[in-house]
Amino acid sequence: MNAAVETMDSRTTAKQVATLSEAVIEIMSDSGEGAQKCGQSFGSIAARMGNGVWTVEIIPAEIQPPARSVAGASGNRIRIGSKRITNGGDEADLAVAFNEQVLLGRVNAGELKPGCIILLESMWAASADPKIAAQYKETLDRLHAEGYRVHEVPMEEECRKLVSDPRKGKNMFVLGMLCNLYSLDMDLARDQIAFIFGKKAEKIIKSNVALLEAGHTWAEQNLDFGFRVPAVRATEPQLVINGNTAVALGVLASGMDICAMYPITPATSASHYLSDVFERAGGLVHQAEDEIAACAFAIGASYSGKVAVTITSGPGYSLKQEAIGLAVMAEIPLVVVNVQRGGPSTGQPTKSEQSDLLTVMFGSHGDAPKVVIAASTIEDCFHSIITARRIAETFNMVVVVLSDASLATAQQPFPRPEFNEDWLAPPIDQNPVPEGAKPYDWDPVTGLSRRFVPGQPGGMHTLTGLAHDRSSRVAYDPEINEQGMHARSLKLATLQKMLTPPTVFGDEQGDLLVVGWGSTKGAIEESVERMRAEGHKVSSLHLSFLQPMAPGIKEILHRFKQVITIEANWSDLPEDPLIDESNRRYSALAMLLRARYLVDVDCWSEVRGRPIKPGSICAVLRKRLAREEQRQ
Amino acid sequence: MDKQLKAQVVFHLTGRHADGESRAVEVAGLRPALMAAYRNLESLRHDFPVIFTGASDEYVRSLTATVDTALRAVAPPGVAGEALRRRALRVEREICRRVAAGERGTLAELWDGAVQAVAPPGDAAFLKDAGKVRANFAADGEVAGCNAALPARFLRHAWTAVQKEKARVARERIDSLVIRLGDILRADYARSAAALTQPALQASFGAAHRGMFDFDAMSRLLSHSPPRGGLGERRRRRVEESLAVLRAQRFFPRAGEAAGSGTHEFEFENAGDALAAFRARLPELSRLLKALQAADLEVQGSYVEDLHDPIFAAFDERSVTAQDLEFFPDYLVCLEPGATGASGTLADALSSGVPLKVLVHADDLLEESMLGKGQFAFGSRATQLASAAMSFGDVFVLQSAASNLLQMRERVQRGLHHAGPALFSIFAAPDGGAVPGYLQAAAAMQSRAFPAFTYDPGAGADLASRFSLENNPQPERDWPVEGLEYADPDLQTVTEEVAFTFADFAVCDARCAGHFDPAPRAVWGEGMITAQEWMANPAHDPAAGVPYVLAVDEADLLCRLVVDERLMRAALRCREAWHRLQELGGIHDSRAERMLARERAAWEEAHRHVAATAQDAPAAASGPATAAPMAAAVPPPVVEAEPARNPDEPYIETVRCSTCNECTQINPRMFAYNDNKQAYIADLKAGTYRQLVEAAESCQVSVIHPGKPWDPGEPGLDELVERAKPFM
Amino acid sequence: MSTASERLHHLFEDKRALEDYQAGLPRWCKGCGDNAILAALQRLCRDEGLRPEKTVFVSGIGCSSRLPHYMRTYGFHGIHGRALPIAEGIKLARPDLHVFVNTGDGDCCSIGAAHWIHAIRYNMNLTVLLHDNHIYGLTKKQASPTSPLGTKSNTTPRGSYLDAMSPLTVTLGIQNASFVAQAVDWIPESLFQIVTAAFRHRGLSFVRILQRCPEFVGGMFEPWVHDPQRMLMLTHENGLKVSPALQKIYRNQIVHDPADINRAREIASSEDPIPVGILYHNPAIPCYEDLRRAGMLRTTDTIRASFEAELDKFTVWP
Repeated sequence: MNAAVETMDSRTTAKQVATLSEAVIEIMSDSGEGAQKCGQSFGSIAARMGNGVWTVEIIPAEIQPPARSVAGASGNRIRIGSKRITNGGDEADLAVAFNEQVLLGRVNAGELKPGCIILLESMWAASADPKIAAQYKETLDRLHAEGYRVHEVPMEEECRKLVSDPRKGKNMFVLGMLCNLYSLDMDLARDQIAFIFGKKAEKIIKSNVALLEAGHTWAEQNLDFGFRVPAVRATEPQLVINGNTAVALGVLASGMDICAMYPITPATSASHYLSDVFERAGGLVHQAEDEIAACAFAIGASYSGKVAVTITSGPGYSLKQEAIGLAVMAEIPLVVVNVQRGGPSTGQPTKSEQSDLLTVMFGSHGDAPKVVIAASTIEDCFHSIITARRIAETFNMVVVVLSDASLATAQQPFPRPEFNEDWLAPPIDQNPVPEGAKPYDWDPVTGLSRRFVPGQPGGMHTLTGLAHDRSSRVAYDPEINEQGMHARSLKLATLQKMLTPPTVFGDEQGDLLVVGWGSTKGAIEESVERMRAEGHKVSSLHLSFLQPMAPGIKEILHRFKQVITIEANWSDLPEDPLIDESNRRYSALAMLLRARYLVDVDCWSEVRGRPIKPGSICAVLRKRLAREEQRQ
Repeated sequence: MDKQLKAQVVFHLTGRHADGESRAVEVAGLRPALMAAYRNLESLRHDFPVIFTGASDEYVRSLTATVDTALRAVAPPGVAGEALRRRALRVEREICRRVAAGERGTLAELWDGAVQAVAPPGDAAFLKDAGKVRANFAADGEVAGCNAALPARFLRHAWTAVQKEKARVARERIDSLVIRLGDILRADYARSAAALTQPALQASFGAAHRGMFDFDAMSRLLSHSPPRGGLGERRRRRVEESLAVLRAQRFFPRAGEAAGSGTHEFEFENAGDALAAFRARLPELSRLLKALQAADLEVQGSYVEDLHDPIFAAFDERSVTAQDLEFFPDYLVCLEPGATGASGTLADALSSGVPLKVLVHADDLLEESMLGKGQFAFGSRATQLASAAMSFGDVFVLQSAASNLLQMRERVQRGLHHAGPALFSIFAAPDGGAVPGYLQAAAAMQSRAFPAFTYDPGAGADLASRFSLENNPQPERDWPVEGLEYADPDLQTVTEEVAFTFADFAVCDARCAGHFDPAPRAVWGEGMITAQEWMANPAHDPAAGVPYVLAVDEADLLCRLVVDERLMRAALRCREAWHRLQELGGIHDSRAERMLARERAAWEEAHRHVAATAQDAPAAASGPATAAPMAAAVPPPVVEAEPARNPDEPYIETVRCSTCNECTQINPRMFAYNDNKQAYIADLKAGTYRQLVEAAESCQVSVIHPGKPWDPGEPGLDELVERAKPFM
Repeated sequence: MSTASERLHHLFEDKRALEDYQAGLPRWCKGCGDNAILAALQRLCRDEGLRPEKTVFVSGIGCSSRLPHYMRTYGFHGIHGRALPIAEGIKLARPDLHVFVNTGDGDCCSIGAAHWIHAIRYNMNLTVLLHDNHIYGLTKKQASPTSPLGTKSNTTPRGSYLDAMSPLTVTLGIQNASFVAQAVDWIPESLFQIVTAAFRHRGLSFVRILQRCPEFVGGMFEPWVHDPQRMLMLTHENGLKVSPALQKIYRNQIVHDPADINRAREIASSEDPIPVGILYHNPAIPCYEDLRRAGMLRTTDTIRASFEAELDKFTVWP
């Protein structure tokens, strides 16, 4: 991006401070060196200054990968901007690395912009271990050769002037440097340190503040460049949390009583947080003996009380499916959160993928209609749970909320929600059931029936996973079996009639419509903006309800010359010699749209385990538009 | 009769001296000989001062006990801890001194003050030790000495502790009922048409999601099959009424809210006002009670309209039982000495069964001050009132001298917990007497002037378990006897057995000085007998001897005091009262003694058992089952008399039938199930012998015995009889 | 004199008859032992005065698991092997309900074995009845984990290959086992006594009931049914008591204190004679729902308060 250059005479060195509209910064270290904390703090400070912020965790697959390993990078990517930021953005403009190896991992993955500024810990050059020294030199040469602007920083050496164990606290030194380089408010930085070490002793806070200031001074005196990303201070309080925390807070705010779960990445951190806070609000997190038990437990709790929730990821979801089928058949309300990860099998536990859309829609044997909602932002993770609880309760249905690893670990400020007691689940109904009422009095039009909860006099019946009649008696008769299927299916149509058509991002019509769902929203809309800036007639449509799908979608699709979905799940590459119309496997949403609306929906997808970049999307869209022009 | 003796007789009979001069002033400086030992009370560690702690279990503890516990924690045993102990005791003594001098404050405050005073200047070790001890006090609170203020302070504190606990329990119950009643209404609302209106639906979704829904459509579709039933109008009204009453109640402070704010007061100047308040609040109380009970039924779904409606319709003040009142706060009335006019209403109040806790503080057992004023006051009448109260039946009565209160603390609490009225009659001398309040009170009890006793209607059915004379010294005697050691003129040590009588007690009370005539050793003569001897002789004739008691002056010089007849008469009355109490306590009454022995045995047995199970409890927690719960858990088998079976008679061993439906399917009229779904022969004639035999053969557990055929006409009998053989 | 509310509640205790707990005609085969279990449970409900709307029978899949359909209480006929986790969910959400679990040897000891082991550990207040007929019935005769070695079935036509597992020894080997008993369907009096004791125990009571399946393994239990001496009655003041009527028939008795777990483990491993009675009982083991303080009353205010408190942690103020 082109930067307006200015000189500030107030500074000791003639420092060039460029004003930017946004910047992407990556900080990486071996795990345990605190790059994560550094990155999040940087994000929070920027957020408090009023910048748009999006932070993405860089997580190694192992808990303690060997030090200085290419795959062991642990840290954060922070994207800050003058306007609201909705995704992790493209390649990084500046990278800070505690050793050259973790840096290499990111370089090889193409995460750094050509000519990217690199601040690299220099201690390794003088390492006692000749092999390390050699590795360092080799890498350094390579980085120079590839045109990166590398600045070697004696982080350890500088920190040792202040603390005995520089390995701890190096991250605060770096934070100081970054505050200087991006002209962040040091008072806010000090507050931030006080906040993160709040529980600890005054002494620790002091020494970390010292490191922070040391980093700031060092950068001031040794780096002749700097940036400013102008910010507009937010007028209302903002919440800075990741997607899993948002899910957990949603559970709390929806008034659910019980969450049953089994540990699985990347879903578990939601349950961790909930376990910590839920009991204070009278709720309970039950860690079951396995995924099946967790689901059955939640079903039991829902059946006899308020709607319960179970939180999992792909493999766990697969295990739950038989039980989910029971909930569908017996019309027990249930909320299932699936924080998607790479699959199949164990796949990529720590990496993101929109892998389970078809599974959650069609999974479980037989016809098992469920509601499927996909959260597209962090704020959405919070509200989706409240909505899911409400729908589950109203329709006695299973509602699956789809999130994924990138939402789970990303942070973005959004307006602090106002607590609303109408969100809360109503108390368990213990009033007698009306004379003659049946547990499955399916309404012929809506398919809805009212459930009886244990404790309600006169409501005694035996609920069953077998096909059953209105009185919940096991039915062997074909009529009754169809009646049940009919009613359960009708409920989806009823819900669909309560939905409004989704709004198009961009013009209502044009050359190309990009359709997406879930965590790709920010990246897609940003690329649409860029394309429109280039004069292309591109719009996008993002779906929250995937089952049922909102009305009016067909009409929207028809108003565009081309329709393409952008998804983070597998689709065959048309350019492959063996792939053609007749055998191409489409991305999940594309397949659904084609089937439902008979529109020739194309798709482009990526399963690199990381958030899709707006840049990559723009590239694809340009190609598609060009191809279309050639055709004409 | 010599001159001296004459003078003494005259004084004894008239209470006046020939020369008309009073010796009162001289006598006022004296004290009973037996009290010589206690001249420097502060240096003796005893029950007082006490600390009023916040704890509800041990709501009062003695200063000495508190210091000792702390010392056990901080001072190493043996010489090592000696210095620390000595320093702590120095401070303790100082506190006693200050409290005796009328200083008030919490233990912590007094401790710090005392440390300041006694710590040698610049003695850091002393301050450090004192700090250590202070840090280890089990509890803190106001410190009180044994003075005129004690009875009211003591009872008020105990009462407050009990009321706090009651309020906590009540709040828990009320709060949970309020929540659960509210839930009934909210659950019903969720089903109501109102909850399905467009705005209500919209509110229940997060702002960020509202755009996704067409709430009019939602409202329309959800209302398509409008929810039926739910809460009936009548039930809703009932729930709302109870809820309103529970929310508005003024008997217990809301959580976190201090008493008083909006809630009723429960302490009153006199019994009349308390009684009036209780009666005025009774309708409110019964309303709350009714609401509580209705709510209990509602939340458990146990309310049956045709059953409970009439009951609650009829529910009013008269429906309230003493057990119900236990839930509510008790009324406290502290009557200070000389409180006048109250006795009538007090008797009413006590006999009314109202949970009234009354303190009657007596400070003048001879009513010297009241003589001739013709005005009713307590005093020796206090003892009469206490005895009288026992006859009201349901009244808990406790009488004790202030000095004995710490010993009585459990019983004071029992009295405050008693469902019904309680009377606490407590003696504490007025402040400022020559003899410290503690000693005067102790003397009152020692001398039977004010014996300690409790009457606890809740403790059991009979007197032996209800009435207790515990804590009185040598209860089997008229007057407790102690050895008095003194030196005679030849400085030889003499030990004499001396009884401590009512007259001796009077010596402590300056107001009675006029009843005594000091007789120095010079004038001691044969004609003088001890007050005890005088009373022992039914004639009470001065000719037989002039009664005297032993006293000592400031210098502990022993002298005799001739006692006038009026005081001696009072002493006799006192002895009679004591005899009556002894009777109640089963002393010197063979029947009572036998009964008491039995009751004691039973009582101790019972308590041993309680203690025993109490010890098992923790063991059970870790180890195997205790007998109690399990024994109850297994239902004893239904034992039914086995009829003598005639092998020719067909029958079924019904208890062994395993409900397999075999026989009932062969012939449901012949074989039927009883209440426990086990088969018996319902109607033999309803089937054939063949069916009976087939049933026997197909019976899973072979409990059907066909016996002999009853209809010789039935075909194929021979073969059937053969087949029946194995089941005979 | 009691308090008015006690008197009022007393008023409510209306008596019910066995019929009030019956629903539908059982569809078990003639002579099926499940009938006896059903009768005992209906009798239990009546004698304990359980309110039908406060009682839930939870089951998995199999012949045993049809039982809830025949009770006029709430019932949950779930999926194969998952009765226990469902019942746990019910109990944690609603400690006020009486929750029973009816499960079979396939349901509990095979497909649901993991849940069985952990259910014992949770020790929630559930009454678990294992209808053990040593065979898969509903799927038409396959060997189950408790089928004796050599059992001929459709999947083991030449006889089963493995030794049977003993649900009793397994349960007694699990941490927190608090009530383990064995009954047989053909001694209804003891069956009733044992299920009643199980119900009254606070904690998970595990009752294995040997149950005859005349259809597929008819005769398997005949030797014991017809020779009372091959039954071993475990009597104790804290355990089973045998009525005079039965004394005469079941004379083979030993006194066994249910507190003695080691002895219980020995007895558990005896297959012949078949022990009947309470093998182990320890009321002191805490219940999971108590440890988790389930059933706590929640108010809008408590939820609001903790919600706002949490948001405060993550809010950046302007």
